[in-house]
Amino acid sequence: MMIPFEDHFHLSPDDLGRVLEAALSLGGDFSEAFLEYRVYSSIHMEEDLIKETSESISLGLGIRVWSGEKTGYAFTNDLAPEKTRNAALSAAAIASGSAIVPAAKLKAATSPLRVYPVEAAPYRADLADKIGLVREAYAACQAFAPAIKKVTAALQDQVQYLTIANSEGRLVSDARPLVKLSCVAIAEGKSGREYGYSGGGGRVGLEYFAATLTPAEIGRKAAAEAVQLLDARDAPAGEMPVVLAPGHAGVFIHEAVGHLLEADFTRKKTSIFWNKMGVRVGSPLVTIYDDPTIPGFRGSYAIDDEGTVPQKTPLIEKGVIVGLLQDKLSARIMGRATTGHGRRQDYTDFPIPRMANTFIDAGQDDPADIIRSVRKGFYAEQFTGGQVEDSGKFTFSVSAGFLIEEGRLTAPVKQATLIGSNVDVLKDVDRVGTDLAFGMPTGTCGKEGQDVPVTDGCPTIKIAKMTVGGRE
Amino acid sequence: MTSRAEIQDLKGLAERLVRLGKSYGVDEIEVGIGDGSEFGVDVRMGEVENLVEAGSRALGLRVIKDGKTAFAGSSDLSEETLDRLVRNAVRRAELASRDAFAGLPELPSRRVDPGPLDLFDPAVPALEAKRKIGLAHETERIGLADKRITNSHGASFSSHQGWTVLANSKGFLGEYAKTYCSLSLGLQAGETDDLVEDFWFSSQIHLADLESPETVARTAIARTVRQLKPRKIGTQRVPVVFEPLVTSGIAGFLSSCVSGMAIYQRASFLAGRLGERIGNEKVTVIDDGLLPRRLGTSPFDSEGVPAQRTIVVGEGILNNYLCNTYSARKLGLTSTGNADGGGVSPNNFYLEAGPHPPEEIIRSCPKGLFLIRTLGHGLNPVSGDISRGAFGLWIEGGEIAYPVSEITISGNLGDVLKNIEMVGNDLEFRGSINGPTVKVAEMQISGL
Repeated sequence: MMIPFEDHFHLSPDDLGRVLEAALSLGGDFSEAFLEYRVYSSIHMEEDLIKETSESISLGLGIRVWSGEKTGYAFTNDLAPEKTRNAALSAAAIASGSAIVPAAKLKAATSPLRVYPVEAAPYRADLADKIGLVREAYAACQAFAPAIKKVTAALQDQVQYLTIANSEGRLVSDARPLVKLSCVAIAEGKSGREYGYSGGGGRVGLEYFAATLTPAEIGRKAAAEAVQLLDARDAPAGEMPVVLAPGHAGVFIHEAVGHLLEADFTRKKTSIFWNKMGVRVGSPLVTIYDDPTIPGFRGSYAIDDEGTVPQKTPLIEKGVIVGLLQDKLSARIMGRATTGHGRRQDYTDFPIPRMANTFIDAGQDDPADIIRSVRKGFYAEQFTGGQVEDSGKFTFSVSAGFLIEEGRLTAPVKQATLIGSNVDVLKDVDRVGTDLAFGMPTGTCGKEGQDVPVTDGCPTIKIAKMTVGGRE
Repeated sequence: MTSRAEIQDLKGLAERLVRLGKSYGVDEIEVGIGDGSEFGVDVRMGEVENLVEAGSRALGLRVIKDGKTAFAGSSDLSEETLDRLVRNAVRRAELASRDAFAGLPELPSRRVDPGPLDLFDPAVPALEAKRKIGLAHETERIGLADKRITNSHGASFSSHQGWTVLANSKGFLGEYAKTYCSLSLGLQAGETDDLVEDFWFSSQIHLADLESPETVARTAIARTVRQLKPRKIGTQRVPVVFEPLVTSGIAGFLSSCVSGMAIYQRASFLAGRLGERIGNEKVTVIDDGLLPRRLGTSPFDSEGVPAQRTIVVGEGILNNYLCNTYSARKLGLTSTGNADGGGVSPNNFYLEAGPHPPEEIIRSCPKGLFLIRTLGHGLNPVSGDISRGAFGLWIEGGEIAYPVSEITISGNLGDVLKNIEMVGNDLEFRGSINGPTVKVAEMQISGL
């Protein structure tokens, strides 16, 4: 149940060894070669037409050299010997001297993790079958209601073949699948035009769309959101109790906690959490993990982009900060071990600490009780994303929700951005439900210009008060 | 740096692939190649943190057969791979639907001479790495020398020089070179749990146009420390003054709402409103791909359509959408030279300057919010709704009183365009989307 690794690089361990040596030739103390071959394909449907299909290939080598805490980086998409050597020498220039450490002899390793439940590489599937999936989502979305005026549906799939070699002697490869089927619905009514989105996928094969989430369900969900928003009123404005629906509300914890526990912000002391290891920062109801090892999830991987086998990493336990997301560089500078969270968008980027699949663990409260406990508040159901800065100020944007009145969900409401300061909001989490769920499996996180696939999860939770940026 | 001879090779490759596609029976084929080299340095706390130097190439192609379209792309330019991609594309096109609007633009009767656009500054590739690193060091040093600054996100210098080559089966063959350089600094100020942060940057085609380390650092300091000790304010409706970077963000949102792609997909609140009044007479919005030495300038777009100046909104009237060839045909319009890959993107898109100095705009508010930064998503082109996290300075009696944070601002782009009361005279071209200071009569603020 894995995609076999295919070697598209044609570089022997000896060739790689020479590249790693050249990278150390000016006195660097660590070198690494990251080889990537990615095959990407997509199908796009709108106006009842299969508008276009595409196929692209990305091939390249990224070379990283450390000299103490400094990083030199170079990349090339020509793997000819003189080009790889030139790239190695460009990266080597972060140091200025002569070689002090030799590169260790490469020893091939494999990851024990089996996190890609896939029967066959999606790009090898018959294009007509894939078009069938897109048509199915499209048709279900369009048929949902007469108010649905425009539909777009798209299937994107890729396989990323990687080989990572470093001067510590590690040599490891991976073949990561990633699939996404998504649907956008535009509904029109008396009040104007609204938009709904839904999608499915992960590090899975196309069989996912038969067994786990069907294209028709994806199409109907997108349509249902757009139709619900036609009748929605403006969100309320001001400070009030907020209940987050289970699942994609995990974007809250991604922004409020996850980013600021990425180790680079701690070693640079720019994160508001940098000096709070072991300190209580939230309610004892809050326990948070990041786990890159959940099979099939978008954020999962058998090795990270530095060749490390990742671990489920506790970040907050009962309100106390207990862990950081480490890559090799931060771990080296801080004298810790990497947790396998060094990720990069592609061979043109050097890795930085990133989240994978981040979630608040389930609590004790009955979700229905949580809603019943609110006299007047805001129920946040669908999300479009969020942002945080190192000071701990964070936002997340809700595309659809409900008013809570006298313990019941009443009027549907539309778009609102919520804002808070993480050190305040984490303390204000006063109910956590038993219903842990993971959000829509189409999420992408951006940091320093690099996008990587992620998943977020959370149970129903209540925040005693937060500022809701509506218009009423 | 890529030599003239190598560019001739790339043009030769593009033409060869056009011929190859035709030999496989396509009706139309278009091949674009980008070739560039980049440099980047990050300096933090006085030390070089990262140094990146690399060159790369990428190729994209589109084939059309019987009105059916397929795209392909590759960073592997080996003959074997490219041949396979073209063959696959021809095969995949057969499985797409026939679309009467698909296809390449006709060969343009007008060509824009790249020379006067002045898009390539030889000083950028000529600048030594040591000097580039020095600029970043100098910028951070000035930033950290200020006692109120407590930490640094680092200073960066980056540069890029590259060639774009485009050939198609209608006989188009063109190329141009473009440089880019930028200098930036991010800073923090304040105590442990009361941190504030901001940054400043300058980015240009020409090195001589780049702001000095002194200017970048002083601006970053001022922008950071003015936010110290913020207050949270009550939920209310007040006049809001947008600082130019905020106006640029709103202009960017408007550019996505006037994209011909969003219009024919009815994914914009401005669909079907061409010729209507969408803002008051103070609002004029231009997209201009011909401005010399500007980041959004190029002689032709990704389909080879020559760049032009387009009045998008003229004194409040929606005059034009931004179109590539496909969306123009769908809408019965003509391409505005805004094709970008399969989609549409603006060239130099900006809200035209007005008569008022920014200080006069602030002075005109007995009470209001001077909006200096936003955080998060919360822009919905389908409805025009805006809801974002906001950082600002509170205005009282026409003067800046104190910083505010942890608030949100919300409204609708349609209302904002109608309620712009004053437009500043301080338009600057810092990116490809720009705007001056503007005052909006009233917006909703959520706070306490």
